[in-house]
Amino acid sequence: MKAKPLFLWRHLNKLRWLTLATVFSMLVLLPFLHVYQTYVSAHAYDLLAPQEKELYDTMEMLTRPFVKDPAEDLDAIKGNTWSGTFFGLKLSDPLAALGQMAAGMNLYTPFLLTALIPVLLTVLLGRFYCGWICPASFLYELNSNFAVLLRRMGLHTGRRHLDKRFKYVVLFAGLVLSMVTGSVLVAAVYPPAVVGREIYYAVALGGFGAGAVFFAVTLLFDLLVSQRGFCRYLCPGGALYSLLGRYRLLRIQRIVENCNDCAKCNAICEFGLDPLRDGFGQECNNCTACIAVCPTDALTFEIKLKDVGYQGYGHLGKRYQREHPADQPSKEVA
Amino acid sequence: MIQRRTVLQRLIYAAGITAASTLPYGLVRLTMPEARADFSTHLRPPGALKDDLAFNSACIGCGLCGEVCPPRCIQFYQREGGDRANTPYIDPEQKACILCSKCMQACPTEALTEVPRNDVDMGVAQIDRSACYPWVDRGICGACVSICPLGERAIGFKFWNQYQPIVKQECVGCGLCVEVCPHPSLPIRIVKRSEGTVARHSV
Repeated sequence: MKAKPLFLWRHLNKLRWLTLATVFSMLVLLPFLHVYQTYVSAHAYDLLAPQEKELYDTMEMLTRPFVKDPAEDLDAIKGNTWSGTFFGLKLSDPLAALGQMAAGMNLYTPFLLTALIPVLLTVLLGRFYCGWICPASFLYELNSNFAVLLRRMGLHTGRRHLDKRFKYVVLFAGLVLSMVTGSVLVAAVYPPAVVGREIYYAVALGGFGAGAVFFAVTLLFDLLVSQRGFCRYLCPGGALYSLLGRYRLLRIQRIVENCNDCAKCNAICEFGLDPLRDGFGQECNNCTACIAVCPTDALTFEIKLKDVGYQGYGHLGKRYQREHPADQPSKEVA
Repeated sequence: MIQRRTVLQRLIYAAGITAASTLPYGLVRLTMPEARADFSTHLRPPGALKDDLAFNSACIGCGLCGEVCPPRCIQFYQREGGDRANTPYIDPEQKACILCSKCMQACPTEALTEVPRNDVDMGVAQIDRSACYPWVDRGICGACVSICPLGERAIGFKFWNQYQPIVKQECVGCGLCVEVCPHPSLPIRIVKRSEGTVARHSV
């Protein structure tokens, strides 16, 4: 037996769910806060309808400990994961920067700089955005769980495997189409951007836009065609982060000495990767679901630029033990 | 030895893959068919790029401008916008801009860039003198003059006259006068600066 990975890493998956849920609930809360701000700016409390008064009171209760002047102070956190501002720090999605570059055929440095921090983090951590932040991921994972429920009820859900490289073609096609049409097309097919803006439309502007239809179709695609299919095979953002995370520093790797070939990791992996045979590759988003599910603590974080490559059968597995009888510790008979 | 047949097969295969990869974009196109909006009454937010095509390629549709707007006047094109989908507009007949410049500060791209309040150019107000109440002697109004955030520089009353409104050079087209106008047919509207006529004199 090799040394066990740090016990905390088994619990990172819970933390991940917490961050996903937090990001998503922020996306829901912010539009409500904005509506509240508009009421405050209008000094119109007495003119509000009963439901509007209720919204006003609720938001006032939530924010009063934190802000003096809601109309101004609540501007500290605005926007969504596509582009937003956080206490003066402006952050944008790298895909937004790339898409805008393609559509306008020019470089606007102040905007490109807002994508710098996400790009650097992606270079270090890989597709971490997909597993830890993306609001669409949150809904897609819930959708995956729903699919499990449906399967338990005896309904068939799609589990097709397509070619993972297809999403790179989608990204390329999107950028080319953006250049041709002169509008930022990737914004319309990139689920986190769609989710962020549709929630805002629904809450603050009184109804979903066309993106809601598109997102519903992707949910159905995941249910009926391929589990987590959009993220795996179609998402242009996921393609971009995979490319950026190709030589990421932080990688989940298998400790072959602790592995017993149970393949639970392969079953749990949302992105259809192959941790059992050391197949992580550039698409792993460090979501740690496989670490959480591993019964023998055989998966751990390592800092390296490349995957180890296939290390053979797990040393605790029957197959390995048959092939290497000499290695086995002799069972002491008490 | 490369076979002509395999080359052709590969080309067709690549073309098929490329065609298939545009599927998501095609789906979006289906959900947002063609422009049916009445663009004439829709203004871009203050500080927007003059060229609408340039604006469209600069805007990433993040919605930040709308999310900081105090009167919530910034709306976003949906299905009716066609290519303009998810980009902002202001319909002053519903809710007009108060020139607070928050959207210009919030915009991460060059779609909206901050300009001083007096240099904002969303258009210019145009009064239809065949309908405006004072102009057709149906009473004294002056709502547009009293609401104007720029005051006397942008809109005032006709020379020697106490109640017939006249748009002046400094008007930036914020649309508050349109929002406040009591006339059902809205004889005041915002038009492009090139189409508008403004009084060159100051009172």
